[in-house]
Amino acid sequence: MLILRRFGRLAIVFVVVTFFTFFLLDRAPVDIAEVKAGLNATPENVAAIRAELGLDDPFLVRYLRWLGDAFRLDFGDSIVLDGFTSWDLISEALPKTLELMILAEIIAIAIAVPLAIASARRPGGWIDRLGSTSAFGLLALPSFVLGIYLSFLFGVQLGWFPTIVDDLPSIFTDPLGNLRQMLLPSITLALNLVAVYLRLLRSDLIDTLQEDYVMLAQARGLSDRRVMWRHVLRPSSLNLTTAIGLNVAGLIGGALIIEVLFAINGVGRLAIQSVILNDFAVVAAIVAILTVAYVVVNFVVDVLYTVLDPRIRHGAR
Amino acid sequence: MAGRGHAHLRDDAVLTVLDLVVEFPGPRKSVVHAVSGVSLDLRRGETLGVVGESGCGKTTTARAIMRLEPVTSGTIELDGMELSKLHGTDLRQARRSMQMIFQDPVSSLNPSRRVRDIVREGLAIWDVDIDDDVSERISTVLDAVGLGDEAVLERRAHEFSGGQCQRICIARALVMEPDVLLLDEPVSALDVSVQAQILNLLQRLKRQFGLTMLFVSHDLAVVKNISDRVMVMYLGTVCEVADSDRLYESPTHPYTRALLASIPGDQLDLPPAEELISGELPSPIDPPSGCRFRTRCPMATEICATTMPELRPLADDPTHVVACHHA
Amino acid sequence: MALVEPGPTGVKTGAEAVDAAQSGSDPVMVETGRRLGVAFWMSLVWIGLVVIAAVFGDLLPIRDPEELGIRTREVERFEGPGWNAWFGGDGQGRDLFSRVVAGARPALILGLSVTVLAATIGAAIGTTAGYLRGRVDAVVALLVDIALAFPGLVLLVAVRATYGNSMVVFIVLFTITSIPAYARIVRGASFALSEREFVDAAESMGATTRRVLWNELAPNIAMPVASFAFIGFALVIVAEGGLAFVGLSLDELTWGQLISEGAGDIDRHGHVALIPATVMFLTILAFNLAGDQIRQLYSPREVATQRRLTTVGEHRPRVGDATLHVADLRTTLHTPTGEVTAVDGVTFDVAPGESLGVVGESGSGKTMILRSIVGAFSLADVTRSGTVDVSGVDMLRADDDVVRRTLGTRVGMVSQNPLSALNPVRRIGDQIVEPIVFHGVAAPGPARARARDLLRQVGIPAPDRRMREYPHQLSGGMRQRVTIAIALANEPDLLLADEPTTALDVTVQDQILRLLDEQRTRRKMAMVLVTHDLAVVRGFTDRVAIVYGGQIVEIGPTDEIFRSPRHRYTVALMKSMPDLALPSHSELAVIEGSPPSLLDPPSGCRFAERCDAADERCRTVAPELTGASTAGESDRSSHTFRCHHPVPVTVGTGDR
Repeated sequence: MLILRRFGRLAIVFVVVTFFTFFLLDRAPVDIAEVKAGLNATPENVAAIRAELGLDDPFLVRYLRWLGDAFRLDFGDSIVLDGFTSWDLISEALPKTLELMILAEIIAIAIAVPLAIASARRPGGWIDRLGSTSAFGLLALPSFVLGIYLSFLFGVQLGWFPTIVDDLPSIFTDPLGNLRQMLLPSITLALNLVAVYLRLLRSDLIDTLQEDYVMLAQARGLSDRRVMWRHVLRPSSLNLTTAIGLNVAGLIGGALIIEVLFAINGVGRLAIQSVILNDFAVVAAIVAILTVAYVVVNFVVDVLYTVLDPRIRHGAR
Repeated sequence: MAGRGHAHLRDDAVLTVLDLVVEFPGPRKSVVHAVSGVSLDLRRGETLGVVGESGCGKTTTARAIMRLEPVTSGTIELDGMELSKLHGTDLRQARRSMQMIFQDPVSSLNPSRRVRDIVREGLAIWDVDIDDDVSERISTVLDAVGLGDEAVLERRAHEFSGGQCQRICIARALVMEPDVLLLDEPVSALDVSVQAQILNLLQRLKRQFGLTMLFVSHDLAVVKNISDRVMVMYLGTVCEVADSDRLYESPTHPYTRALLASIPGDQLDLPPAEELISGELPSPIDPPSGCRFRTRCPMATEICATTMPELRPLADDPTHVVACHHA
Repeated sequence: MALVEPGPTGVKTGAEAVDAAQSGSDPVMVETGRRLGVAFWMSLVWIGLVVIAAVFGDLLPIRDPEELGIRTREVERFEGPGWNAWFGGDGQGRDLFSRVVAGARPALILGLSVTVLAATIGAAIGTTAGYLRGRVDAVVALLVDIALAFPGLVLLVAVRATYGNSMVVFIVLFTITSIPAYARIVRGASFALSEREFVDAAESMGATTRRVLWNELAPNIAMPVASFAFIGFALVIVAEGGLAFVGLSLDELTWGQLISEGAGDIDRHGHVALIPATVMFLTILAFNLAGDQIRQLYSPREVATQRRLTTVGEHRPRVGDATLHVADLRTTLHTPTGEVTAVDGVTFDVAPGESLGVVGESGSGKTMILRSIVGAFSLADVTRSGTVDVSGVDMLRADDDVVRRTLGTRVGMVSQNPLSALNPVRRIGDQIVEPIVFHGVAAPGPARARARDLLRQVGIPAPDRRMREYPHQLSGGMRQRVTIAIALANEPDLLLADEPTTALDVTVQDQILRLLDEQRTRRKMAMVLVTHDLAVVRGFTDRVAIVYGGQIVEIGPTDEIFRSPRHRYTVALMKSMPDLALPSHSELAVIEGSPPSLLDPPSGCRFAERCDAADERCRTVAPELTGASTAGESDRSSHTFRCHHPVPVTVGTGDR
């Protein structure tokens, strides 16, 4: 019931976002037919292309047609690169971006969760002070600044990792070679998330630790470890779950910058190139796919939420 | 419906509530029957205590009278004026002659404002600053609630204890010179010794200003102490109304008897509570048919399930009314 | 009334919590307050420098940021930082310092305009949605949802393509994208505020909606908005930097652009990128710090101190057969405001099958006595001294394993609020089984059978079904029964009950008290019942201890204390309770003043300041526990009290 309602809401988000994207791109004073026809095209050529692309149809018709095609992953041809469909370009770039984002998310959670637990065990202790101060500092570091610092330190000074990603091998055939190139970008992207997740989980853990049922669990002689894992962590992880979902949009933006910084041929770079070249078909396709990603992740988060908290499952909250 | 009836109402009341019904939308399109046909009245200078357990609708009743909750049906008549259908400026005007004191005294005061502004707010809303000596009026009420010190005016809520905050709330209400003061669990958040201070204060103010009060509480002893008349509620309906001393001397409704018997340290001559009440409070979303107490009542019979008992006066004391088929 | 009151719950939504985490609502920051204080002024100094650079950049005696070093010969290409050019030169020999200074202006103009506009509009939207709720709120929430998913890139592309990339376009663009964040924060704050009763009070006085918004909500929202504005300012700088970095930003010289220009040469000439990056980092840090400091002004949180439990002093083994022996127990909480001695020299015994009531008002230390026995303090730095002996085990000094085992198998505990006493995300059956299996009392299978049996014993119908349910599916009374079942799970010798019925209705209270009484008698358990309610004690205990200011001021057999209380505080407390046996409108005795601060307790009698009978001696000399019976403090029939001027036996409060 709740799941259905959330799904409806996310569907609305998807439609509104794509509609406005299409609308805004449509408003841009660039004539796609002219671009496509090339510099030497006659007005007749342009008109023919216009008719072929259906650009003379009313806006709503074009949007619905585009939406219908999009469900079949048909986002039209690239306007600039002849012979390539938008999907060709995206499917080429997408795996790298996905890898970057997933790696970053894994690294962030792997660092933030243990650190938050250690901090919440002894608020004000040295781990906590170090963690909180670092988190504060990291939040003030935009990813491109952090990226420059890290690539200067690990790439230039220490020479551990390459400063640009070049001819990336697949993670499935050559995982080590892949990671050697992708680790630095992923860490750069992850560190900001670490700061957000750490602060959130830490403060929720501290709140939960003050609950009566935790005090009673201690008074029942359960070990600290058991109290933490069985009684504290799960009720404290709700906000973190939400944060992971909400941060997807931010993560996409972050990935874009990381891709530029480390010269990764991912979706972000493709998007920027397409924007600069006015390749609106590709831009619209990227937006649609990213919105779907956002919607799907948030839907998964909602489902996870009901698993984590039975009160939501029963509509008691 | 249980507890319906007007046998306890009188002609010379300043506030008369007739058949008040408050219903909220519940989860999954259900309806929460918070208050189901409550009638009550208040004479000038009288204190009516409303007592009952959680979910009985006592707070909702008080808030609905103040129009802080939506009134589904019924009428609220203050000094001959019908309030339940008012809107906009008329409603604001009407609210002015009633004031409310809430359970949590700290949360009742805006943390960012000074006491002077808090107490003056009511006058400021109605622009009485001009022709009246406002600061004198403010110091009079603050004096009356025991906060006569000038320094109090410049301080903010967090500098006061719970009891002092409740005094400020009372002062804020008194400044409006209300016809009726509605008090929703005003001493429940306070310690015993502070509670006594506030109860004594209210008693004194009642004499000093001729206050008319509706006093909502779950605490039977507190209600007995402060009230002239007491009304017992259960699951949105009225069970019994009587003069304060009378009610505690001869509780008649089975629920009233169960309530009194549940108080630890039995000073009253009642059987143990477990013989008077059983089971759990039914959901207000799906209240029992007939008498609402029947599912927990040892005396319940066929008629209780089919027919709502009406409030009817007792033979030996017509001011004592009970809604029960078997009382 | 929670059952029937309408309106949304006050639960912080995930998104709001995320905002809080990003903008830094972090309790520990308060603790490091002093050091941050310096950092705050330093950050203000830095912000001041940036403002000076932005406003007077043209007037400063520095080089023209666009002047090419290759032409003027003043600055070499990629010259390192030094006296000639403080920040060095860039790839075309331009003075990097001048360029960084020049970059301050667009940052400031953009940040300031966007922050002011977005904060104003967002606050207006958020306040309205949070206060009016209903449909308005639903629409705003949906819009915020959409805005969060909307790719800012697209907006940027479209707007850039149509309107160019001037400052005005960017201000509008960033304002639009920043509004949702402000709206959400303000909506959350007004939501919480409009739950507060002062809003109801304002409406009751006839205030208009506009007046409520303006007078009651706005002043309380101003500070959170101001705090977030600083962080929002930083976010604008970050966003512009990001766009500049990918080549899509303003048509002006900005820090982001400088970093972008330098990034390509990071291998050989690191300073060209690193210096503007550091300036940007420091600026963002300064704004974040300032915002964080402002937040602490309005939310002075309880400081989370080191969680630590230490023990000092000697153990004095019990004499006799008492299940619980507490002697000269002293519990000190080390808080940032000072040392709070919450329990100050408390001594008592509880025998098997006996029930001791501990009565006091809030802050008297009655709950801390129980916490000190089990050593469960949520987050505090605590020192205990004296003796706590449970069935022969020194609970203060024994090994952790021994203490845990004793707690798990010999002691059961019931706490005040049944709503928070059970873990909301675990099944009831699992919670009962856990201590049985953990302490190896029974294997999981038999433990489940035992759990079912326990549920039946505490009067829960259909235990099989209940085992699989979650706490929220039960009523308050039922939950308290479950807590009692868990407490009884390992057949304890000692049951500690902390206000077990305070949160319950009177008819349910009666049931729970009877249940506790019945179980205690049947199992011959010793019980400590902490409560503020004298009536509860009177009906259900053998002996009573009255607690005031962290000390036991009177202790003795329940009957005797009620028949003939000796301590002045006990008498006053009894008389201030409304009594059903007295007629309506009886004047209540009032205890003037307020309890003593445990931070700095008075040197004499703790009750002296509020006591009618107090004299100079009471104010200077602390009274010892003395009593009618001289048999010694552990004698259970003795009645002792701390008072220089006890109430004579004959007066008392009679047989009320």
